[in-house]
Amino acid sequence: MENLAWGFQMTVLGMGLVFALLGLLWALLTVVLILDKEPKAPVSEQETHAEAERIAAVADDAVGAQVPEPATVNGMQADLVAAILIATMKHKLTLRRQAAPIMRTYWPGSQLFASRWVAAGRTRQNYTWQPRGK
Amino acid sequence: MIDQETIGLLLKGVNNVTWQSLFMIGVSFVLMYLAIVKDYEPLLLLPIAAGCMLANLPLSPMIAEDGMLTVLYNMGITNEMFPLLIFVGIGALTDFGPLLENPRLVLLGAAGQFGIFLTLIFALLLGFTPPEAASIGIIGAIDGPTSIYVSGILAPHLLGPITVAAYSYMSLVPIILPPVVKLLTTKKERMIRMPYSSRKISRRTRILFPIVVTVLVGTLVPFATPLIGMLMLGNLMKESGAVERLTKASAAEIANTVTLFLGLAIGSTMVGKEFLKPDTLFILILGLAAFAVDGAAGVLFAKLLNWISGGKVNPIIGAAGISAFPMAARVVQRIAQEDDFENFLLMHAMGANAAGQVASVVAGGVLLALMGAGG
Repeated sequence: MENLAWGFQMTVLGMGLVFALLGLLWALLTVVLILDKEPKAPVSEQETHAEAERIAAVADDAVGAQVPEPATVNGMQADLVAAILIATMKHKLTLRRQAAPIMRTYWPGSQLFASRWVAAGRTRQNYTWQPRGK
Repeated sequence: MIDQETIGLLLKGVNNVTWQSLFMIGVSFVLMYLAIVKDYEPLLLLPIAAGCMLANLPLSPMIAEDGMLTVLYNMGITNEMFPLLIFVGIGALTDFGPLLENPRLVLLGAAGQFGIFLTLIFALLLGFTPPEAASIGIIGAIDGPTSIYVSGILAPHLLGPITVAAYSYMSLVPIILPPVVKLLTTKKERMIRMPYSSRKISRRTRILFPIVVTVLVGTLVPFATPLIGMLMLGNLMKESGAVERLTKASAAEIANTVTLFLGLAIGSTMVGKEFLKPDTLFILILGLAAFAVDGAAGVLFAKLLNWISGGKVNPIIGAAGISAFPMAARVVQRIAQEDDFENFLLMHAMGANAAGQVASVVAGGVLLALMGAGG
């Protein structure tokens, strides 16, 4: 019980001292910044975010700051690879859609007529290089 | 013919295998797994695991009187040199700009130290002596070198479990913090956007900062002088730009070498007979509690600031007021973006995080001062 009372005393004193010291530091820093008279300028959130990322990237090298590495695929971050894959698939679909009116008379899957591609393939299959009758 | 004595000598190693040493070798394998496969603090956990394995091999000459691990322990842990040298490297890699842009965030760093003292009370309730309880509480600084420094002075026999807890949980910050933050905040609060008004921080201010902090903290809490002095020395070298070679060496070669030595020396303290006690389990549980309490205290204090400022402070940045720099800030940014993808809090969180870095050192010094130790 005596120890516990000592613990509470330590908590009150300790936190009080930490707050007092850091409060003093806040005041001192404010004075330094006022004396420094550097202008304030509004900046966009994205700019500040990019700057913060740069600072964090440098500190990442410190011992005790290692974050578990995200999953990678051939050295690239897995979520980046997934994003590239989706973008490529989307791009391919868009190209196909754009090219459809030129390349085909009918949409893929139509049972009415064979596409030019299929027709050409069938023609090639039917053609034989063997001379007739031999 | 080989006589009985020769056979006895040949089998001396096998005869001295104990269940404790086998268990600890198993623990070292778990630490190796975490470091190599899971990538949890590999720079420190792998050398700790190696030190633990080498120390627990039967009749290990490495922990004998003149063994390499004993020499490393005496060289840098007994006299606290290794954690201090690591601090120089951390200072050289830390940019306190986000804190200087918004100095009031320093208060969030203070709030983030509450876990130290609450854990101290929990440890006392579990029957630890005051110096042991203070050493366990310092896990709540979430700062490896500070934990090693303080516990090395107050309770060197607990150094192994305290260091393992401090560094293992530090890599679990992305897992520990989010549930605490979400439990204590509403979605509306998490979506608060904080405006930026970038104050250009001059080189003069950046150079003055480490000097002012060292003189202030060193004068008021002399016990914190070694910690804050080395941290700020690294930062002064970085910001001055005058000693680039020293800055690079401190952040890379020196930090890497010392980390290897520190890890091996800490691992060598994890000898089965001393490590396998209920106390170790309590320390691991208390360490986890300390991390959670720190995050919670930070968030609650930020909620208070939010109320005082009329809704201008997003309470979740309080969770970054701990020392795990910049991991805690990144976690806070991720939590913010889960609710509002265009909410950019990283710079504010980095400010609180940098404050946590300074505050943890101050709290370590205050704890030593209150215990009447160190210096």
